[in-house]
Amino acid sequence: MAKIAVFAEIEDGAIHDICLQCMSKARALAGLDGRVVALAAGRGVSETAAKLFGYGADEVYAADHAALAGYISRPFRTLTAGWLVEQAPAAALFPATTLGLDLAASVAGVLSSAGVLYADDVRLAGDDRTARRIEFDRKVVTDYAAADGRMLIIALRDGAADAASFDAGRTGAVKAVSVAPDFVGAAKVLKRDVAKKTINLKGARVIVAGGAGVGSLENFSWIRDLASALGAEIGATRAVVDAGWLPADHQIGQTGATVKPDLYIACGISGAVQHRVGMQDSGKIIAINTDPNAPIFKIAHYRIVGDLKAVIPKLIQLLKS
Amino acid sequence: MSCNCVVIVREVWDTRDLIGSILDEAGHIKPGALQTRFEPEDLNALEVALRIKDQQGGKITAIAVGAPRGVEVLRECLYRGADAAVQVDADASVLDDRALSVLLAAAVKKTDAPDLVLTGTSVVDGENAMLGAMLAAELAWDHVAWVDAVEAVAGGQAVVKRAIEMGYETVQTPLPSVISIGVALLEDDPRSPRPAKAMLKLKMKKTPIPVLTPAELGVADPAALVTTRVTRRESVPPRVIESRQVDPEDVAALKTMLNEVLKGK
Repeated sequence: MAKIAVFAEIEDGAIHDICLQCMSKARALAGLDGRVVALAAGRGVSETAAKLFGYGADEVYAADHAALAGYISRPFRTLTAGWLVEQAPAAALFPATTLGLDLAASVAGVLSSAGVLYADDVRLAGDDRTARRIEFDRKVVTDYAAADGRMLIIALRDGAADAASFDAGRTGAVKAVSVAPDFVGAAKVLKRDVAKKTINLKGARVIVAGGAGVGSLENFSWIRDLASALGAEIGATRAVVDAGWLPADHQIGQTGATVKPDLYIACGISGAVQHRVGMQDSGKIIAINTDPNAPIFKIAHYRIVGDLKAVIPKLIQLLKS
Repeated sequence: MSCNCVVIVREVWDTRDLIGSILDEAGHIKPGALQTRFEPEDLNALEVALRIKDQQGGKITAIAVGAPRGVEVLRECLYRGADAAVQVDADASVLDDRALSVLLAAAVKKTDAPDLVLTGTSVVDGENAMLGAMLAAELAWDHVAWVDAVEAVAGGQAVVKRAIEMGYETVQTPLPSVISIGVALLEDDPRSPRPAKAMLKLKMKKTPIPVLTPAELGVADPAALVTTRVTRRESVPPRVIESRQVDPEDVAALKTMLNEVLKGK
């Protein structure tokens, strides 16, 4: 009978979708007679945290405090580590978000536990108590175990499990985790600049994405025109978002969305690993790039070496005819 | 106000352009199968420290674990403008981030009053992102990860810009703190790290790099600090994708390609 803990990241009244994957993974690992315990921390998170019962939690805890409004490693790691010591689960699952990765590593440091970030799978059956990660640019699969029976602290990679489904019949009372008034230190989040999510990249069947190689904001109209001819969503690399050509909700890759469309057209994208991790499982990949040695061509089904300003108009014309 | 920085640097496997299996039959990385390189985000961390030094002065000390790999990156730090380097004498290849963080925290404490400890957030080979967080936990300091830029260091505080999903946060953190730098300064970025200077190469080529032993850092057996064991490691069968070049001048080929990818739509 296993006890599995989940850290539930809640933002603007919504549970992060990788946390729903953590919930289904935790439920599967705990089994019917095991227990899934969940912790949420932040300001005004209690109400949303109650939904975690519906997603499979047996017990839900919330540290609901104004001082936890923004994520700061130190108070969050102290709080979460303390809660995990009380709960003593076999494993704790965190979402592999920027917050969840930092918190999982920080807590593993505090507790001297085994930490495995970006895990693709977790197994807790008999002697096989391991977290699996596909690493070295997806060339190697490695199983990690905790030394000397330590707790396994895992950040689950987006897509490692299906999201838990919601059962409105499962309810319960959220238990408060007390936060001392002097608990929070001097660090604080001064400003937050986050794009509103206006598009659904994850649900898109076709994505046309542009990278730094598009060259300018004006040239991005080619990407828009091709996307519109295909009925596709528009994706981008971090460089494009940083350049201000597109808002951040279009970003695909490490700090953006992970997508698996049927068709991904990469235009002017060199294919740095930070981008590839977000799109390499697409059904078919067409890459258009002037550099024949661009790493994107290694994962592309169709390699077009050429200038997108010349290639895209031809594609649009063919699509329209 | 001058700002003293410690930069933790690592040499990692270069996993770009991997061809074929990199493991031997026992599941270990084949000698010579991989090149190594300066961890790109650690290089960014060094650049952040150099920019702080440019603006307000201070001393930069680079620390790495292991030899000879660690020593090469330390020498590179000196060539790029670090003032001092310290090598921790342990075999990094058999240690995990938890063990490294204990050794490095002790080494940081032996450095004169650092205001900031900088390192890369994630390592590219093993896709891990733990060292900075664990180091901060061990030092009981604050930590900010995925930082793109240190905007100001003044009044006992650092103000940093942190990348989060769909945007950024500006975070204020007290000194001393551990700051883990993210990916925004990578090679193809115009704000990329400065290269080594020929003048510094001449000057620093023979500079002795002091060595700290685990015993000097209060650690009897670094391997005993390891919390994570590898139980199995296998090559992933190469993903065979049918890939072909399409000539952008060949309209018929482009048409065939579109028909194939849009089949059933």
